[in-house]
Amino acid sequence: MSKKNMTVTVGLAVLMLALLASPLVAGGRAETAVDRDTLRIAIGAEPESLDPVKMTSAPAATVGEHVVERLIYMEEDGTLTPMLATSWEANADSTVWTFQIRQGVTFHDGAPLNAEAVRQNLARFVDPDVGAAYAFLLGSVQDIQATGEYTLQLRLAQPFAPILSHLSHSFIGIVSPNQIRDLPPEGTFENPIGTGPYVMDRWSRGDSIRLSVNEDYWGSTPQIPNLVFNFIPEESARIVALETGEADAIMAVPPQDVARLEADPNIDVVFQTSVRTIYVSFNNVREPFTDVRVRRALNYAVDKQAIVDSIFEGSGFVADAPIPDAVFGHTSVGPYEYDPDRARELLAEAGYPDGFSMTLHHPTGRYPLDATVAQAVQSMLADVGVDARLETREWSSYLQFTAQPPEQAEYDMFMLGWGTVTLDADYGLYALLHTRQWNPNGNNRGFYSNERVDELLDQARVETNPDQRAPMYHEAVQLIWEDAPWIFLYNAAQINAVRTNVEGLIHHPLENLSAWDAYFR
Amino acid sequence: MYQYIVRRLLLTVPVVLGVSIIVFSIIRLIPGDPARAIAGVNATPQFIQQVRVRYALDQPLYIQYGRFITDFMRGELGNSIFSGRPVTTELGERFPRTLLLATISLVIATILGVSAGIVSATRRNSVFDNASMLVALVGVAAPVFWMALMLQLLFAVQLRLLPATGIGTIRHLILPSITLGTASAALMARITRSSMLDVLRQDFITTARAKGLNERLVVYKHALKNALIPVVTVLGLQFGILLGGAVLTETVFAWPGVGRLLVDAILRRDYPVVQGTVMLLALLFVLINLVVDIVYAFLDPRIHYQSGSGE
Repeated sequence: MSKKNMTVTVGLAVLMLALLASPLVAGGRAETAVDRDTLRIAIGAEPESLDPVKMTSAPAATVGEHVVERLIYMEEDGTLTPMLATSWEANADSTVWTFQIRQGVTFHDGAPLNAEAVRQNLARFVDPDVGAAYAFLLGSVQDIQATGEYTLQLRLAQPFAPILSHLSHSFIGIVSPNQIRDLPPEGTFENPIGTGPYVMDRWSRGDSIRLSVNEDYWGSTPQIPNLVFNFIPEESARIVALETGEADAIMAVPPQDVARLEADPNIDVVFQTSVRTIYVSFNNVREPFTDVRVRRALNYAVDKQAIVDSIFEGSGFVADAPIPDAVFGHTSVGPYEYDPDRARELLAEAGYPDGFSMTLHHPTGRYPLDATVAQAVQSMLADVGVDARLETREWSSYLQFTAQPPEQAEYDMFMLGWGTVTLDADYGLYALLHTRQWNPNGNNRGFYSNERVDELLDQARVETNPDQRAPMYHEAVQLIWEDAPWIFLYNAAQINAVRTNVEGLIHHPLENLSAWDAYFR
Repeated sequence: MYQYIVRRLLLTVPVVLGVSIIVFSIIRLIPGDPARAIAGVNATPQFIQQVRVRYALDQPLYIQYGRFITDFMRGELGNSIFSGRPVTTELGERFPRTLLLATISLVIATILGVSAGIVSATRRNSVFDNASMLVALVGVAAPVFWMALMLQLLFAVQLRLLPATGIGTIRHLILPSITLGTASAALMARITRSSMLDVLRQDFITTARAKGLNERLVVYKHALKNALIPVVTVLGLQFGILLGGAVLTETVFAWPGVGRLLVDAILRRDYPVVQGTVMLLALLFVLINLVVDIVYAFLDPRIHYQSGSGE
């Protein structure tokens, strides 16, 4: 081909590419005008189900809580406020809890809310034949009775202090008794009939869920008549949808795209704390991690602040305790300051002056930038002579791999996150660090064990006076910190983005985005 | 012909059985557990046990397989472990969307690819030929993911002409079907061109020209009909690939088809959904191939599908 011919060829190629598209775009301009009757929120995943006994994910909770309500609501600061229960009290030893159910509330199908309706829902939630994944939330409940038209009684096997925060969990929703009365144990329903500010309108599978306002809502009726949740799994597509105005708000913005969105005058980026702690756990029963000096050394070796600043662009917080500070029972005991010299000293004391080699397991794509964080940890450990080989697995395999009993556990260190979604230390500490929760019984995957900590966690479970409970957790947190069963990393931030003409969205630390108070400016 | 079709249809039985064994075993060979995939770090031992019992995962593999295959014969695909909904319902909602996307993509790909191929072949080494083959090369080589993002940035973000994601109107269909169809169009252009060139060199074309037939008639009647045979093969295969391979396109454009359903199901170890989806796609693939073979017979009278009667 001659040079001139080449130019013409390339020119023609470009022209053809343009032509290829031109007849197809003649359809007219996309609607960019604001539809003030509909608020569109793009979320990353479709809810698996909106049936409370089938719900397991944050997207399900976010959509679900607009339609279905629970007895108690947890405010952003962790305060428990009345929702479908107006008041509650416990007997002297806190084994019998009596709830007054809100009067004059009707479900979206017209059925009245009463204690019997609540009883049926809770009974279904804990029924072993139904097999709800989160039935353990009410594991302490022995018996549920409607003792009056609007009086509900829960009897516990033994006192269980966090019962109220467990009842506030978004998965324990109350649906119309008509919906569950004739359902077989394995049965499920698609469109929940609740008491919430919005009513299910249409679930277009794989695409979106459309809700419309509940005109008879018992609380204050939302201002925006329609609410649409679009499922857009791909991060960059979610951002494009916000930029074009196809979405009014999006959840889970990747940190690396924050700058791009902040540059857009029509978009606000919202940072909210989450209750998720990210940590690297040691296998505490395996050499050399049986030596507390080694565990502490590795904590000193990792520059947590650098991870937060450079990988997460400053969003998120360096962990100063095994639970985030929004959680009841938290006390600031850290962080382990970044001090590689101290790390080397401790390693030498423990008999590893030249460091050692081991494998660090981590998930990829489960938590924001998890693989990048693992690489950063690896290079910081290398700096003090510890050679960490990185190994990743797909999420479901990873969970199984890290759930082996101690004699079969084949890992030295693994990275994981935990959301203390009840905002109560019990949920975060008992499940992860109590000796009884060692694999395969629970989530103590690193086999941490400290008798005093066990004792404190047990006592705090049954002590219902918050003033007595808090110091127990404070002591436990202090002991756990000194034992250093994990490399304490950071508390993740959630990053959402909203178009500037939308006000009043609630960005909840529990990773829910709530729109009942939202309005267009 | 009729006999041939029946025989081919019977042959699909061992093929589908083979696929069923493969998909059944592979999904169970991957480490991981549906209960853990569902409840994540919160999966309690009780819940894991409940899921195993309810979905018969505690049974020996041959019993599980036997149940799966007898259900399948009755048109039953079981319930999704994840959502509790019947797999047939899930597929019923998703498949029409994938079918629509794949069909439109194939139509675009065929029109563009075949016409570009013909023109390139008849004007061999012209500027148009070189340019369209360059475009075709780029089309084949460009990653679907990248194409999709570029189209979104240009037509949705910059020009604001088309919606970036979602379904609902014809305009939602445009970007995903271009993305999905590009590689096929490019492939089809290259195949049409080379096949056309092949045919145009043959004696009967020379004869036709020598007879004094007008060039248009020679190209579009005599040559094209013969040149299309390999194109039809590719077309059939491409349709199968488009149906099963739309995963990336469906993900970027949030297009809720079976591709995304399948990937999600694999990640969640949702065995019934994985099995059902793969079986559906395998059946379709087999049937499409059958249709292609039948179309051959119409395009090429030399092909006879008859057993025992030599020519």
